[in-house]
Amino acid sequence: MGSSVRPVEDPVPLVQAAGYAAWVIRDKAAIVGIGQTEYVRRIGRSERRTAHEASVAALADAGLAACDVDGIFYVEGQSGEATDLARRLGSRNLRCWAAASGGGGAACAPVVHAAMAIASGVCEVAIAYRARNRGAVGGRPWAKTSRFVAGQAAFEKPHGLVNPVHQQAFMARRYLYETGAPDDTFARVSVAQRRYASRNPVAYFRDRITIEDVLGSRMIADPLHLLECCPENDGACAVVLTTAARAQDCPHTPAWVSGVAQGVGPRHVPMTNLYNKSSPWEWPGAYAARDVYAMAGLGPGDIDVFQLYDMFAPVVVYGLEAYGFCGMGEGGSFVVDGHTESVSATIPTNTGGGSLSEAYIHGFNHILEGVRQLRGTAANQVSGAEVSLVAAAPVVPTSAILLTRK
Amino acid sequence: MNEPGMVAERPAPEIEPHTEPFWQAAKQRRLVLPRCRDCQELQFPPELSCVHCGSANHEWVEASGRATLYTWTLCHPPLLPYFADHAPWAVAAVTLEEGVRMVTRIVGIPASRYEIEMPLVADFEDLDDERTLVVFRPADPA
Repeated sequence: MGSSVRPVEDPVPLVQAAGYAAWVIRDKAAIVGIGQTEYVRRIGRSERRTAHEASVAALADAGLAACDVDGIFYVEGQSGEATDLARRLGSRNLRCWAAASGGGGAACAPVVHAAMAIASGVCEVAIAYRARNRGAVGGRPWAKTSRFVAGQAAFEKPHGLVNPVHQQAFMARRYLYETGAPDDTFARVSVAQRRYASRNPVAYFRDRITIEDVLGSRMIADPLHLLECCPENDGACAVVLTTAARAQDCPHTPAWVSGVAQGVGPRHVPMTNLYNKSSPWEWPGAYAARDVYAMAGLGPGDIDVFQLYDMFAPVVVYGLEAYGFCGMGEGGSFVVDGHTESVSATIPTNTGGGSLSEAYIHGFNHILEGVRQLRGTAANQVSGAEVSLVAAAPVVPTSAILLTRK
Repeated sequence: MNEPGMVAERPAPEIEPHTEPFWQAAKQRRLVLPRCRDCQELQFPPELSCVHCGSANHEWVEASGRATLYTWTLCHPPLLPYFADHAPWAVAAVTLEEGVRMVTRIVGIPASRYEIEMPLVADFEDLDDERTLVVFRPADPA
């Protein structure tokens, strides 16, 4: 396995700064509680309410009192907000809150911000959450396209490039062309993750599927079929983070936040990156990888288990490359050769089933799976897992967290 | 499966001050690109400032119209109603001879004859009196 992070443009400044950032942030906060609602097509309750339910569950799991919550971090684009949640939890002293931008790229961002806030002493008990009702017809952002479109969209949507899946289909076709990976490469990702999900009691899809099932499913945007796209469902997840001092008293094994990163890189256009002059394959994930590893003082060869937000199957292939588990252009053959598909594989990936099978909570469910692996309670447990990497979609402005067990 | 409230018509470009030269040229059957006067880099799509150096000082230069097919997809429903009515709808990206890429459509041949890297030339498709899209057709008509 080629265990090196591939170089990206201008690799120097933040890596140097990461020495100081590591001293300030590394292992200063831990995830001590996880909570979720059910993952279903129609949950019948508002995002505001499911955010509260998941937060209460996470606090109970952590053994911490809701009134002690003094930091709340979430992702914009959901109903309800931090101060509203704090009031309903009975928080007495909320003093730090923020919403991250970026949709599926922001999956890990609330944890990034919570860890930074705790490390700096601004708050002591933080909730990071994501509530997402996308099962109902009418919730798709692209469906709200207006008659006249401005900015970059003026040069894309009139031609018919409207839905995120079109943008990803563009890159999937080009990837297959450039790398010579077999046409069923992405289908293999879907099959592997469904096999993991078949043993995960909270997964949305649990029936096993075959390569033929994937390639025989309805074409959505050639070459991507329905089963290479994640479902749209409802649900919410939350985690509780706290200080090193408090984490020792919590009932579960703390998942120490050893590295955090957000990244985007130069001249990036979300989802396609095809206007990037240097290389469209220089995804934002490569920048987050560089920084999250630098802060943790670890590299791809140290990671026991990997969760990566996967709204479409090809994104997993790009993520394996961006986070250095294989070389650039080798992600397809890496998947085909079976390096991700079992708990004893080189790098078990999306062991809960990921977005393709466990749930579409914009990548936040992946954080819970990353924590379960360190606690030793995952449905597909990687034996003795001590280092768990969780990353948002690498193809959009992104975020990543590196969690460890001591 | 149309969602409530979706726009019925084909989306059309809003002509903005910083993109107006592009649309005016297209109406005259010309393809122009913004080039930074400070760092000389071309960029697409046009922005208010240069994504390479940040300068707001740019000029519009004529492109040759020659390009190669970078990638494409065939879109099936769910789609906006206009595209759903014409599904499967093909959309493409091309690399211009000058190096920048554009999202566009290929005209003159069915999608079954698209080949990545095939040579193309610019063509023009009027949307209405004010708006003309830059599309591409095979350089070799055979």
